[in-house]
Amino acid sequence: MKLNRRDLLRAAGAVGALNLVWPLSAGLSPAQAKEAAQELGATYDPAPFTLGIASGDPLPTSVVLWTRLAPEPFAGEQDLPETVEVDWVVAEDRALRRVVARGSVAASATLAHSVHVPVGGLRPGRHYWYAFTALGRRSRTGRTKTAPLRTDRVRFANANCQAFHDGYYAPLRGIAREELDFVVHLGDYIYEHGPVGGEAVRDHNSPEIFTLADYRKRYALYKGDPSLRDAHAAHPWYLTWDDHEVVNDYSGTGGGAPFMQRRAAAYQAFYENQPHRDDGSSALPDPVIHRRRDWGGLLDLTILDLRSYRSAQNLPDGTILGAPQKRWLKDAVDRAPDAWHCWVNSIMLSQLRGRPGGGYMFTDQWDGFVNERKEVLGHVHKAGLEDLVVITGDWHSCFVDDVVPEFGEAGSPVIGTEFTAHSISSAPYDEAWNAANGPLMGKANPQLQYFEGGHRGYAVYDVTPERWSTHMRVIASPTDPESPVRTLTTFHVDRGTAGAYEDKDTAGSRAHYRRD
Amino acid sequence: MDGSKNIVVNGGAEDGPGGSTVPVNSVKGWQIAEGAPALLTYGADSGYPTHEDPGPPRRGSRFFGGGNSPRTTLFQDITLPRTGRTGRGPVDAGKVRYEVAAHLGGYAGQEDGARLSVEFRDGAGTPLALSVLGPVTAAERNARTGLVPRTAEAAVPPGSRSARVLLVLTRSGGGTSNDGYADAVSLTLHHTKGRPSWAGSPGKTGDKPTGGQA
Repeated sequence: MKLNRRDLLRAAGAVGALNLVWPLSAGLSPAQAKEAAQELGATYDPAPFTLGIASGDPLPTSVVLWTRLAPEPFAGEQDLPETVEVDWVVAEDRALRRVVARGSVAASATLAHSVHVPVGGLRPGRHYWYAFTALGRRSRTGRTKTAPLRTDRVRFANANCQAFHDGYYAPLRGIAREELDFVVHLGDYIYEHGPVGGEAVRDHNSPEIFTLADYRKRYALYKGDPSLRDAHAAHPWYLTWDDHEVVNDYSGTGGGAPFMQRRAAAYQAFYENQPHRDDGSSALPDPVIHRRRDWGGLLDLTILDLRSYRSAQNLPDGTILGAPQKRWLKDAVDRAPDAWHCWVNSIMLSQLRGRPGGGYMFTDQWDGFVNERKEVLGHVHKAGLEDLVVITGDWHSCFVDDVVPEFGEAGSPVIGTEFTAHSISSAPYDEAWNAANGPLMGKANPQLQYFEGGHRGYAVYDVTPERWSTHMRVIASPTDPESPVRTLTTFHVDRGTAGAYEDKDTAGSRAHYRRD
Repeated sequence: MDGSKNIVVNGGAEDGPGGSTVPVNSVKGWQIAEGAPALLTYGADSGYPTHEDPGPPRRGSRFFGGGNSPRTTLFQDITLPRTGRTGRGPVDAGKVRYEVAAHLGGYAGQEDGARLSVEFRDGAGTPLALSVLGPVTAAERNARTGLVPRTAEAAVPPGSRSARVLLVLTRSGGGTSNDGYADAVSLTLHHTKGRPSWAGSPGKTGDKPTGGQA
């Protein structure tokens, strides 16, 4: 069966909605599913590197290179030899002439023909270009960067929450075009549910996902947005995850065997599709995500995993970190260098009550683990840690909060700032909700400085020894893959002074809540 | 090395301390990463699997249980043979396959579970292949106490130098006992005489660097 856009649109018209085209592809062959995706706007790199290339977890002398061979992105198993040799090359120039490292690695069908190459022996603080060759084909060329040993400036962006059906990835197009040292993804890279229907610009092409084959195909769908592949190829990424890489609001512990099967499948698919550095301390399908990285003595990056080890919510002894990760984090606080301390935090740390006298809005976030939050932030305060900035995703809206050891306690000192970023595409609340609830949240949460909803975007962090600046970028429209990017506002934090302030040039921009 | 020899040490939980529901602090051949397993004796304690329940045909006297921890994990790192028919030369030529097998189970209709995985790694410890068995659900056991067989096989990727075998026993919900069960854990390597399932470059398969400078 040959599919084309006209047939698909005719089918959509017959049932009354464009989005209903997408479920039709659930019963198609892998090739037809790919064709259907392409007819509706998805694109893929030339086979076998359809899903693109990526680099991740930069260290001063090492970076991880990733690709996955998937000639048919929607095939549960690829029509490839069981093991395929993949050659890789790293060079000092875009044309790949000044080669500094090269090698070969086996891509196994058991890992979806993905490869993860921890290239060593590189020079600190340098850009490098890389590419792969397999089955007689060359991939696109990507650019990456190693961490410097010393620097007086770092510039990076975060991405999070990229529900495929809620919009095109114009923010990732913006990230790809920014001059950055690296990107941090804060989670919800994929979503697990089936088609959403309604007026979605595009939709999931399969029912809710449970198996390894399901998760592999979902990653393939998301990587069909060219801006995602471009952003991966343009910069190295650090990664954490949130809930939708597995299932909404899950706790990584305590589930029964059916859930543990699903979790293992989801975690394996995450590994197969991301430039994740596996340090060998554990083993797949349980990758260790949390880690600590230094960027030139200026930025002390602490990447948290708030899913794998958490307990149920709202327990007196509940944990969002798990005991070993909590010990590790507190130890990191005790031994912190003199630098900006950035916690990469998938889900909101600060208290968020919906209205004065009301309860917590969402106890899936740190509000469901209040005793542990108090313990950890109390430890930060007691240790005298300065210059703490927490960057957060999940909320599909932008918040700026003072971080205090005891939320809700008058006089609790400000010990840091939390910046919660817009989503790449996942739908925010509508204007009416934001306008009504912004002021209520402001009244209910004394630490809340700023709230603005209704956009898609990302944040760029420009950090010097003297000042941290957060530029909140937003796009004009999620229905335009090339929607232009603008800066909504900018907040600064001065070194040695806890608390953020808004740039005078953007302080008059629209906000659903701004503390006077 | 014999190409069909089980290279997992103490895969049947037969050796070392144990024999009751009391968790142990060490297991011969394995490292305990989390929790504490119980090395249970078939039929010795009421409610646990007996010799009459589904399980390995030749099951010895004991099996792995999760003890009293919500999550118990054990692993062992196995260095692949340097020489022989399943040594580095045949591995790098794509002529060695592996089979991983275990009996995995749980208690009645409960969803406590056991998962066994094997990860093949290159000389730097980077994963090159992965097979995951289980966990077995209650439905897959027909809600009957016991252990059922699970197996997987695949090519050992060129460049592989070690394997990590990981056993994870998980408790669902509340309660004390972690009734994820495992027995007859095995990993075997086999030389293949046929065409390798490997799309690589002849002459390059003897040296498979996965990192470092040119």
